[in-house]
Amino acid sequence: MPLEPVVGLLQGFLDLPFRDGYVPSVVYVSLYVSVIAVALSTLFSIPAALAMGFTDFPGKQFVKSVINTGMGFPSVVVGLLVLFAVSNRGPLGALDLVFTKEAMIMSQFVLATPPITAISLAAITGVSDNVRDAARVLGGTRLDTALVVIKEARYGIATAVLAGFGRAISEVGSVLIVGGNITGADGVSKTRTLTTAIQLEARQGRYETAMVLGAVLVAVVLTVNAIVVRLGDTGVNR
Amino acid sequence: MIRLSNVSHAYDGEPVVDDASLSVEPGEVVAIIGPSGVGKTTLLRVLSLSLEPDAGTVELDGDSVWDADEDRRLALRRRVGMVFQDASLFDATVARNVEYGLRVRRGWNDRIRDGLRSVLGSNGTPRAVEEALDVVGLSDTLDQEADSLSGGEAQRVSFARALAYEPRFLLLDEPTSDLDPRNTGLIEDAIREARDRDIGVVVATHDMHQAERIADRVGVLLGDGFTEIGPTETIFEDPSDERTRKFISGELVY
Repeated sequence: MPLEPVVGLLQGFLDLPFRDGYVPSVVYVSLYVSVIAVALSTLFSIPAALAMGFTDFPGKQFVKSVINTGMGFPSVVVGLLVLFAVSNRGPLGALDLVFTKEAMIMSQFVLATPPITAISLAAITGVSDNVRDAARVLGGTRLDTALVVIKEARYGIATAVLAGFGRAISEVGSVLIVGGNITGADGVSKTRTLTTAIQLEARQGRYETAMVLGAVLVAVVLTVNAIVVRLGDTGVNR
Repeated sequence: MIRLSNVSHAYDGEPVVDDASLSVEPGEVVAIIGPSGVGKTTLLRVLSLSLEPDAGTVELDGDSVWDADEDRRLALRRRVGMVFQDASLFDATVARNVEYGLRVRRGWNDRIRDGLRSVLGSNGTPRAVEEALDVVGLSDTLDQEADSLSGGEAQRVSFARALAYEPRFLLLDEPTSDLDPRNTGLIEDAIREARDRDIGVVVATHDMHQAERIADRVGVLLGDGFTEIGPTETIFEDPSDERTRKFISGELVY
């Protein structure tokens, strides 16, 4: 019967322990880690992109190529490096962050920053010099000019933030290494994200559950994209 | 008064403006004519106080601009407005564009309050914005998006944007070179209106007829500083400099 897989999927969805709080807690951890990491990364990346777009300094090309390389940097390696950093003997060992959400935020930050910076930079340098000059000549301060440029580049910057968010929330390797895919004794997620949960369910042969979690992940990404695009379209435009 | 004294500027070692001196009073229109690439735009950028020349002094109302500290220079800069060859409007409504100069001159508290109000949709348009748009005949475009305007309308909005905060001096860089005769006429009317409001206007143009129509004085820029600056009639009827005469009569071709 052709509908059999769909029925199976629905069954899997019904069987999911929503009531025990497992799935919501996994979604929560995923969003918590990715949203905070992307927010911090955006706060860092946009000023960095503005500074790079507005000024010339020796080694600028080198910095650019480092950022571009960072976009393709393997996430498992990032996870390993962050794990070393936060491990007992690492430089941040005293903070006791191994297998915590904070460590996951650190590794997501490292992963999300290069795409957000690079795409924002492309958008900012795409803003016409004339518009920049106009903002200044009409009496704007440096900050006013920067705000005008951000506004003009808002679609590109929204794309950058989405790219960073997409990389963070759909990433498995580094969150598995630094977070450890842990749930508490009550079955509620401590550091288990949608991606690491899917990976675990699939490995244990619970494909329906994995599929449902996959659908939830896609739905979360779609929702966030829709919200950001909508904000970029109207809110900033006023 | 804006006064440039012996101003020189070079890009990458290539001199663009060489030893140019000029002063502009409020309430007069000065046209700078000359062929393309002769440094008119650079001179306007110096006049707009956004480009520090390599040599020479720039004074605005008695203050030496580049000896002043950053805050003082911002205050001086805010007495000057500029219109570029292309309209260079921001990606926003006409009202937001024209309001820009007023907005950046307000304190942050007011600006944040206005921002919140505009999100709630209860923001009125300042009178100065409506008046400035009225001067260029576009008061019915307030809520239009800037990118929906025609080239001529965009340039007139750009003019209104520079006029709205009532600068003491207004600089126009080839403001009508891409426009049809009707829009050119409207911009020229707006220039006369600015003069009547006691604003000093400097127009860089390669259209000699335009200079003749609107300017009180004309400066001829042919390469190394001004060859001649004088009343419009004198420059066109009886220039004292031989190169000016040749340029005006079209014998000197660049």
